[in-house]
Amino acid sequence: MPTMRYREALNEALREEMQEDESVFVMGEDVGVFQGAFKVTKGLLEEFGEKRVRDTPISENTIVGMGVGAAMVGLRPVVELMTVNFSLLAMDQIVNHAAAVGYMFGGQVSCPMVIRMPGGAGHQLGPTHSHSFEAWYLHVPGLLVAVPSTPADAKGLLKAAIRDDNPVVFIEHETLYGQKGEVPENGGPARFGEAAIRREGDDVTVVGISRMAITAEKAAETLASEHEIEAEVIDPRTLRPLDLDTIVESVKKTNRAVIVEEGWPHGGVGANLAALIQEQAFDWLDAPVMRVTGADVPMPYSKPLEQASFPHEEHVVQAALSTFRDV
Amino acid sequence: MPRLSDSMEEGTILKWLVSEGDDVKRGQPIAEIETDKANMTYEADTDGTVSELVASEGDTLAVGDVIARIGEGSGDTGSDPQEAPRQEEPEPQEPEPQGSDPSSNGGERVKASPVARRMAGEMGVELAQLEGSGPGGRIVKADVEAAAHDGGTKQKERPAKAAEPERAEAGAKGEVEFHELTRLQQTVTRRMAESKATAPDFQLVAEVDMSAAVQLRERLKEVADPAPSFNDMVVKAASIALREHRRVNGAYRDGKFELYSRVNVGIAVAGQDALVVPTIFDADTKSLGQVAKDARALIEKVREGKVTPPEVSGGTFTVSNLGMYGIDSFSAVINPPQAAILTVGALKKKPVADERGRIVARDMMNLTLVCDHRILYGADGADFLARVRELLESPLSLAL
Repeated sequence: MPTMRYREALNEALREEMQEDESVFVMGEDVGVFQGAFKVTKGLLEEFGEKRVRDTPISENTIVGMGVGAAMVGLRPVVELMTVNFSLLAMDQIVNHAAAVGYMFGGQVSCPMVIRMPGGAGHQLGPTHSHSFEAWYLHVPGLLVAVPSTPADAKGLLKAAIRDDNPVVFIEHETLYGQKGEVPENGGPARFGEAAIRREGDDVTVVGISRMAITAEKAAETLASEHEIEAEVIDPRTLRPLDLDTIVESVKKTNRAVIVEEGWPHGGVGANLAALIQEQAFDWLDAPVMRVTGADVPMPYSKPLEQASFPHEEHVVQAALSTFRDV
Repeated sequence: MPRLSDSMEEGTILKWLVSEGDDVKRGQPIAEIETDKANMTYEADTDGTVSELVASEGDTLAVGDVIARIGEGSGDTGSDPQEAPRQEEPEPQEPEPQGSDPSSNGGERVKASPVARRMAGEMGVELAQLEGSGPGGRIVKADVEAAAHDGGTKQKERPAKAAEPERAEAGAKGEVEFHELTRLQQTVTRRMAESKATAPDFQLVAEVDMSAAVQLRERLKEVADPAPSFNDMVVKAASIALREHRRVNGAYRDGKFELYSRVNVGIAVAGQDALVVPTIFDADTKSLGQVAKDARALIEKVREGKVTPPEVSGGTFTVSNLGMYGIDSFSAVINPPQAAILTVGALKKKPVADERGRIVARDMMNLTLVCDHRILYGADGADFLARVRELLESPLSLAL
């Protein structure tokens, strides 16, 4: 199986889908001549030309709005927003239009578009560029939300997102673009709503969102080697639809759950998932559902403070241990 | 007053094992308490000095009432009892009031995880008696599994003290003695009346040819010690049939049928002035020899008054035997909320007609199945009883 970087996997998905379907086109700030702020659209302008790879002004609400219109008349736009923070400028188009339009017109129109955006901290980009807003989009009915953590999922889920007739918010992670991983050759689209069990274990279920699936996997190795605790690590891959069955099944086996996310604690992905787990698996729980989240502050610029503001392996280990004993 | 069993509503202080002013350590026995199920030793849940024995010996108090106060520090008898760790909490591992959940009768909630609570209910384990190993002393799944596995607790038992009979003036019936019921007798009274008042019961009687079983037992006597009794064979046959007839191994409760995954057969034993039904857990998976050993051990414990609450909990079906008194057959009151009770009469040689119409002497025994018609219908009960008879008449299958 070939190995490639996360950004290359995304690039391959875009190229293959654009080759496959002429109605697919890319639009965003610096996606053409500059080949994308994170080089995800590298080589696309050259291959597909200006009509299908369109550089836009800095105007997020307009970019998404054009995408919504194009999608409503039958095209399949893939809109790139430079960070998840900037997507808030387009909230009206995303929430009030892209997500709602199919419902508003009784299914007479659909909005088959993808809105790509990177999130997450680690590059000292300060509070206006580094947040994790998965929970904001998870909140909205009508949107699908993908949070791939591996190159294989990045490619498979982006292909699936482009082919899906629903609007998809596709949240990439800024620090993962350079990560390498195996990607199946000629792999087709992945399925939304299908979690991946990254590691099997009987003692505690650890659900990791986006990059935190990788952090959770590392923590699981420490739990096994230093504490004789076998964690089952689950990467949901998509938050909407959510593969709750796999998570609940695992919790029924382990009786314990820890959810790891980079976003803020209040109203977060973990808060929502903890509620679902206790609703559906209350009688199987041996400990409170624990959450490991980003700190409840705007992301600091200072490197030590930034590092202290999102979860690391040791936090996950501590949270998992706390479901067994006083720590 | 700590809640020492699930069904406990009040308890009687039999004896104080400490006096006011005594220093006590956590885990030290401080009182003997009579509950609805047994007499138990209650241990201090904190270090301190006994500042006040609120309840006197012989007092009966509702669960949650204060029985004593333990103050902080040696000799600190003058401390404000409100600030002292509270002795009345029935959760020995959780001195902090935070997180506790006082129930309406004044008792406080035992700190246990949801899965531990569910499993304790299913396995008949008394949460109040467990020491939690989880964070903050929470009782977790592993604690319940360990308790169910051990089947015992640290609690000690003492025979119930017979109350001094009162006497009334002589009337037409002569002199009348009044005896206060022991807690155990009160429980029997309440539950038997509840059963008859709520369960529409009916009876099925079957005569079983035990000749083959008698022969088998003669053979087993040569190899087994103790040799399984006929009652053990009935318990084993019933447990096999219970596994096949799930509703018999169930209960009607609150508008639902409850079907249990474990086959736990209770055997009615006449104890000291009371009826006790100790449980043979998982009788279906135990060998006949093991059933016999378990039954012997439990009967011995009941006779000595040493049976513990977990050993009398968790039953899914009951077998009652009065054959040793020469009773041919009898009805019994269903042990609620179980679906049925099986009674065993005396085994007697009787003349019966064989398949060719000749009169021969066979070892015959009557079984009576009393069923709760809310969950068991006539055909269900008959099917079950026929299977028990079939197993007893071909008893080699019991020895497998």
